[in-house]
Amino acid sequence: MIGAHVRPVALRHAFRPGRLDNRGLPRLLLTTMRLLRALFAALPFVLTLPASALPGGAATVTTEQVRAELVAHAPQGVVPGQPLWLGLAIEHQPHWHTYWKNPGDSGLPTTLQWTLPDGFKPGEIEWPTPARLPIGPLMNYGYEGRLLLPVKVEVPSGYAADTLKVKLRADWLVCKDVCIPEGGDFALDIPVASAFAARAADFEAAAAAKPRPLPDVRATATVAADGLSLVIEGLPAAWAGKAIEFFPEAPGVLDNALPRPARWDGQRWTVRVPLSDQRIDSPARMDAVLAAAGEKAGVRVGFDIAGAWPAPGTTPKPAAMPAPAAATPPLGLGLALLFALVGGAILNLMPCVFPVLSLKVLGFASHADDRRALALGGIAYTAGVVLSFVALAGALLALRAGGEQLGWGFQLQSPAVIAVLAALFTLIGLNLAGVFEFGSVLPSSLASLQARHPMVDSFLTGVLAVAVASPCTAPFMGASLGFAVTLPSVQALAVFAALGLGMALPYLAASLWPGLARLLPRPGAWMARFKVLMAFPMFATVIWLVWVIGQQIGIDGASALLAVLLALAFIAWALGTPGIGGIGRAAFGAIGVLSLAAALSWMLPTLQASAATAPARSGEAGSAWEPWSEQRVAELRAAGKPVFVDFTAAWCVTCQYNKRTTLADAAVMADFAARGVVLMRADWTRRDPAITAALAGFGRNGVPVYALYGRDGAPQILSEILSVREVRDALARL
Amino acid sequence: MKNVFRLAAFAAALGASASVLAAAAVGQPAPAFSAVDTSGKTVSLADFKGKTVVLEWVNPGCPYVKKHYDSANMPATQKNAVAKGAVWLTINSTHSGASDYLQPAALAGWMKEKGGAPTATLMDADGKVGRAYGARTTPHMYVIDPKGTLAYVGAIDSKPTANPADIKTATNYVNQAVAEVVAGKPVSQPATQAYGCSVKYSD
Repeated sequence: MIGAHVRPVALRHAFRPGRLDNRGLPRLLLTTMRLLRALFAALPFVLTLPASALPGGAATVTTEQVRAELVAHAPQGVVPGQPLWLGLAIEHQPHWHTYWKNPGDSGLPTTLQWTLPDGFKPGEIEWPTPARLPIGPLMNYGYEGRLLLPVKVEVPSGYAADTLKVKLRADWLVCKDVCIPEGGDFALDIPVASAFAARAADFEAAAAAKPRPLPDVRATATVAADGLSLVIEGLPAAWAGKAIEFFPEAPGVLDNALPRPARWDGQRWTVRVPLSDQRIDSPARMDAVLAAAGEKAGVRVGFDIAGAWPAPGTTPKPAAMPAPAAATPPLGLGLALLFALVGGAILNLMPCVFPVLSLKVLGFASHADDRRALALGGIAYTAGVVLSFVALAGALLALRAGGEQLGWGFQLQSPAVIAVLAALFTLIGLNLAGVFEFGSVLPSSLASLQARHPMVDSFLTGVLAVAVASPCTAPFMGASLGFAVTLPSVQALAVFAALGLGMALPYLAASLWPGLARLLPRPGAWMARFKVLMAFPMFATVIWLVWVIGQQIGIDGASALLAVLLALAFIAWALGTPGIGGIGRAAFGAIGVLSLAAALSWMLPTLQASAATAPARSGEAGSAWEPWSEQRVAELRAAGKPVFVDFTAAWCVTCQYNKRTTLADAAVMADFAARGVVLMRADWTRRDPAITAALAGFGRNGVPVYALYGRDGAPQILSEILSVREVRDALARL
Repeated sequence: MKNVFRLAAFAAALGASASVLAAAAVGQPAPAFSAVDTSGKTVSLADFKGKTVVLEWVNPGCPYVKKHYDSANMPATQKNAVAKGAVWLTINSTHSGASDYLQPAALAGWMKEKGGAPTATLMDADGKVGRAYGARTTPHMYVIDPKGTLAYVGAIDSKPTANPADIKTATNYVNQAVAEVVAGKPVSQPATQAYGCSVKYSD
C-alpha cells in the first residue's frame, strides 16, 4: 500500500549507478531525505485509515442514547467532478428518536455545521424518508434505529493536499419520553488519492431511502378554511388503495396530528390536510414527502397552492371524511319524506307522547256536538306540531351553520336539558296522577284564557307534544333524522315538516272524523282512572332520563336530580292539591321551595361534572372494546388491521338494543376475534365534536352508526338495526 | 295557564343546549379556563378580565425550559411583564403518569428556586387547558390582550436551540409582544413557530 504511493523516482535516483566523486555525498543525502520524507508522508495513512483521533474531535461520539459517527464515501477519492459524500451516521438506542427537517409539533431537526477547506461546498442534508412518531395527541416526524444523513460536497479543482480534513459540529435532539439535546465535534481525514468507501452500504441505503422525485406526477392543491385539498396523479401504481402518509417539508403551516381524510379513485389520490391552528405562513408553493405505509422509500412532490389562505384567526373546521364509496346510498327526498311521515305517526305510540295525546282525544267525547270546533282544533294542533318541528330543526341547522358540531340528539347530550325534561315529565305525570291540578297552581285569569281561545290552546298543545316527543325521536329515529339534517336546508326542513305531519295525523284524523265521538265510550268515572294510568308511562320516561343523566354525570348527579324532582313534586302538591287551606298551602309551599333550593344546590355543580369523574362508560375492566379515536383508527388501518367502530350513545335505545343483542352474540364476537378485528366504541352520550365530525364524514348526523373498515378501501356502513347475519356476512367478506 | 308553563319549559330546554367551540389562534378570543394553582387555590382566566395575560407552558424536566430558567431569562421576562401590569400564568400540563411529573409542592419549590415570578403557577395534569389552547411544546407562549383576544402565540424567542448562549442574541418575542399590547400597538410578530419538548399529555 505504501509502496503504491511512494514514487519510485527517489529510489531510482538513490541507486542509480554513478561516480563517487565529491558531489556524491550531497546527492545521497538528498535522496535519503526524499525517501525519508516519502516514508513520513506515508505514515499518517497507516495510522489513520480507520477513524482518527485528531485534536478537534473524533469521528465518533457516543452517548447513552445514540452512537453518532462522521462518515464519508469517496469511491474514486477526492477528485473534482466526482461525487464526494459526507454524512452523520446515527445509531439510536431502542425507542429513542431524532427529528426530520420538519420535526412536527415539537422537537428540532439535527443540524450539521461543516468546516472544510476553501472551495469545498457542502450541500444540504439529503434527508431520508421520515416516519411518524405520535406522542399522545401530538405528532412528530423523525427517525429511529439506524440513520445516515448524507451531504453531497462539491470538490474544487486544484486541491493540492494529500488529505482532506473534515470537521463537523453536529447538534441533535434525541427524545424518548424525555428530550436530551446532544451534540458533538467530529473530525475525519480523508485521503485524496485513494478510495474511501468503507461505509458504501450505509450510503446506498440512505440513497434508497431518500424520497425520489416523480417525473410524471401532477399535483393540484387548493386551500380553504377546512384545510389544504390535494389531488395527486402519477403516484407509483403499486400504491393505489394503500394508506399514504403525508409529510409536509415546511413546519408551521399544516396540522400534524389531526387525521387527514384521503381516498383513492383509481390512480388518483385525494387528501384534505387540516391547517395548523397556529399557522405562521401562507406559502404559494409547498413540497411534501409521501410514503406508502410499510414502504421505506417515499416520493417527493411539489405543488403550487391555489385559493386564498384564510385570514389568521379564522377557526379551521375539522376536516370530514370524504363520502365513502361503500356507504348506504342516501335516500331520495321522496322516500325520506315518506319515512318521516310514517315515523311521525309511530311517535304517537311513544310513552312520552301517548298519555298526553290519548287524553286530548278522549276529550272529544265531551265536545262531540261541536264538530266545527273540533276540526279547527285539530288543524290548530297540526299547525302547532309541524311548526314546532320545523322550528327545532331550523334551530339545529342554524347552530350547525354557525360552526357548532351538533347532531340530532343534541338536546340529550346536555345534562342540563335532560334535567329540565325530567322535571317537565315528572310534573306532567303528577298532574295525570292527580297529585295537583293546574287550575289551583295558576291564576284563574289564565285558566279562562284557555276557555276563550280553544284554538290557541290546541296550537300550544301541539307545541307541547313536540317538546314531549323530541327526546323520544332521538332514541329511535336518530340516524334517519341525522341524515335529514345533512340535506340542503329546504329539504331538511321539509323532512321535519313531514315528521310533524305524521305525528299530528292521528289527532287530525280523529278531530275530522265525525263518527269518532260516537265510537268512544261515554265519559264516566273510568276516565279518571285512565288518566292516572297514563301517569305511569310518563314516570317510566323519567326513569329512563335519570338513567341517561347518570351515564353522563354519575350516580351522584342522578341522585341529585331525583332530589330536585322530589322537591318539585312537593311544591306542586303544596300549591296544586285541592283542599288545603291558605296557611297550609303557604307553609308547605315554603318548605317545598327551601327543599328545592337545597336540592338544586346539590345538583347544579354535578351538571358540570366532566367525563373524567363520570363512571367510565365503555371501559369495563377487560372489555374487548377500545375507546375510539380518529388517530388510532388511522394507525390501525395503516398497520393493515380491520376495525369495527360502534358509534353509540346512552340515550339511544336502538344502540342499546343492538349492544345487548347482536353485539353481545357469541358467534359474532368469535368472528371478530377470528379475523383480528379491533373493536372500538365512540360514545356520543355527551357532546363530542370529534365524533360529530366523524359522523358527518359518513353523511350521518345521529347514532347508531356501525362502520366496518376492511384492510383497504372505504369503510362499510352497516344498518341501524344490526342483525347477527348481517355482521357475520360483512365479516366474511373482509 | 298550563300552556304558559309548558312553553317556558320548552324554551328552557332548547336554550340550554348551546355551547361554544374553542380555537386558540391569533385573533380569536382566548378560551376560558379554570385551574388549581400549586397552593390549592382555583384560578380562572375570567379573574383577570381587562388585563394583559401571558400564558407560559412549562415542564422543569425539559432542557429547553431549563435553558430559559437556569439562565434567568424566563424569570426576567416574567418580572418585565408583571412590572408592566400584565398577569403571568405558568401552566404545567404534564400528566401524572409521566416520568417528569412534579407534585404541586415540588413545582412551586422549583419555581421559587429559579427565582420565577409568575402571578400563579397552575396544575393542568388532565391537560384540559393545554388542549384547549393547542399547547404543543414547553415552553409555548401566549399573550392575551385586555379585550380577551389572543395577540401572540408561539416561541419565547427567535433561536430554537438548547444553548443558553443564544439567548443574548435572540429576539425575545414575549417581551416584544407584551410591550406592544400594553402600549396599544399592533403586535409586529403575532405568530411564531414554538420550539421545545412536547407537552406530556396523557394518550
